[in-house]
Amino acid sequence: MDEKKYAKLEQEISPKIPLMKNILKAFLTGGIICLVAQFVALFYMTYFDFTERTASNPTVATMIFFSMLLTGFGLYKKIGQFGGAGSAVPITGFGNAVISAAIEHKSEGYVLGVGSNMFKLAGSVILFGVFSAFVVALIKTILVKLGVVSW
Amino acid sequence: MEGMNIRKFGLLIIIVFLLLGCSNVKNDIRVQNNSSEDPVKIKELLTKDERIKSAAVLFHERELLTAVRMKTFSRFSKRKIGKELEKKLKEYYPELNVTVSVDNKILMEMNKLMDMKKQEKVSKKIKKLKSLIKEET
Repeated sequence: MDEKKYAKLEQEISPKIPLMKNILKAFLTGGIICLVAQFVALFYMTYFDFTERTASNPTVATMIFFSMLLTGFGLYKKIGQFGGAGSAVPITGFGNAVISAAIEHKSEGYVLGVGSNMFKLAGSVILFGVFSAFVVALIKTILVKLGVVSW
Repeated sequence: MEGMNIRKFGLLIIIVFLLLGCSNVKNDIRVQNNSSEDPVKIKELLTKDERIKSAAVLFHERELLTAVRMKTFSRFSKRKIGKELEKKLKEYYPELNVTVSVDNKILMEMNKLMDMKKQEKVSKKIKKLKSLIKEET
């Protein structure tokens, strides 16, 4: 059996991925997470002194807190199984990545296990987030200094 | 059987939320005047603008506070529209302190402020709102 034959066989046997269904599921899951976040933002705007612009920070923190609780109780993985990328792309996926790594390495002790492995997955998110923010700010600063755009 | 019910329920919720977006279409522009300025010009400007859904305008002593809410697809460029409005209003009322906000929170607070009975507290509240508009963090 050569390579081409194997590839053909593999394609025939392996089950077809329901692409449209998965996309729809991810869309709905991500949308519902964002709907919840919208209500949280509305809550902060109604009961505290946050404007539309400033309410985003506490909202993000609250959504991460929710997803951490759900991960701890084992519910977030069910959402992840259903929604796929729809549950990973919003900020709740970040909270899930942090807490699931912490739970996984709990048996290795609190310092060397939880402490050093907690940001195993989420660490790259922070690193590249900070780095890309730096690059964007640098470009904007240069453009402002050149007088192309204004703050 | 059970799963089917949950699915139907979920579909119902999705449809309800989708249809909720269709309601709530109202175009109200509230103007409250506690000064000797002429409020007709600003009212005309705001009603004529197709992009504005609702607005609250308050004249108080030397302050002119305006909060507007854009229609859905104008919301993407709401800061720009707000700046445009501010410029026009400064032309119309050169001797007033003009403040324009496109933030929903400010609109909410302005409506609360207009319903308030006690007039002494209004200046204090306006000061607070203006600092809230300037807040960046």
